[in-house]
Amino acid sequence: MASNDEKPDFSDVEGGASSTAPLAEPAAQTYTVVSGDSLSKIAKKHYGDANKWRRIFEANRDLIKDPDEIYPGQTLKIPSE
Amino acid sequence: MRFYRTTLLILAACLAVSACKKKEEAAPPPAPAVEVSTAPAVETPPAAVPFHVLAVDLGKGLGADKKVTDPTTTFGPKDTIYASVASEGTASGVTLRAKWTYGDAGTVVHDENLSISPTGPANTEFQISKPTPWPAGKYKVEISADGATVASKDFEIQK
Repeated sequence: MASNDEKPDFSDVEGGASSTAPLAEPAAQTYTVVSGDSLSKIAKKHYGDANKWRRIFEANRDLIKDPDEIYPGQTLKIPSE
Repeated sequence: MRFYRTTLLILAACLAVSACKKKEEAAPPPAPAVEVSTAPAVETPPAAVPFHVLAVDLGKGLGADKKVTDPTTTFGPKDTIYASVASEGTASGVTLRAKWTYGDAGTVVHDENLSISPTGPANTEFQISKPTPWPAGKYKVEISADGATVASKDFEIQK
């Protein structure tokens, strides 16, 4: 019998970064899909609004055929707001 | 008397010649010519040190200098995990990336990029937190600079 522990959910992980060095010109932001993610969750993380998932979908049409099907390890472009 | 005068004259002449010789001998040798450069001194600016990572430290807290305040590699299920990357050197732009993974399979927990323009020593921090408890187990954070892995640290989350 498979245990749920084998596939932990990291979709609610929050991350951040900062530096004492000056920041460079912002490059295009990317995000790597983790287990349990959906476009809505990613939109909520980056824009604070889950309804903006379509913006991410449109920017990644070359990778995503169906917005309900994204996979851990995919690196998505996150367009600026 | 004549003999006496002649002897005195000869003696005087000998003394004079001797004195002259001594003077010649005592003359110091000419000082060697010293070459004096007239070119102005040019200060060479220190060569710019290229950007490189010195160390990565993990901890439970972070100071204003972006260094960890409570270094450890063992965390609790509700901890925020900080990774502080110490670097030096300059770069017009370098992208630091922290890839956090879980378990032997390397399940991606979080992936974060930050592009910086360092002008000298710097500390860059990456952090992850989770509203729900972290699954216990072994984790790893891999730090890369412009795509090249420069350091990795293993850590553990205990129940």
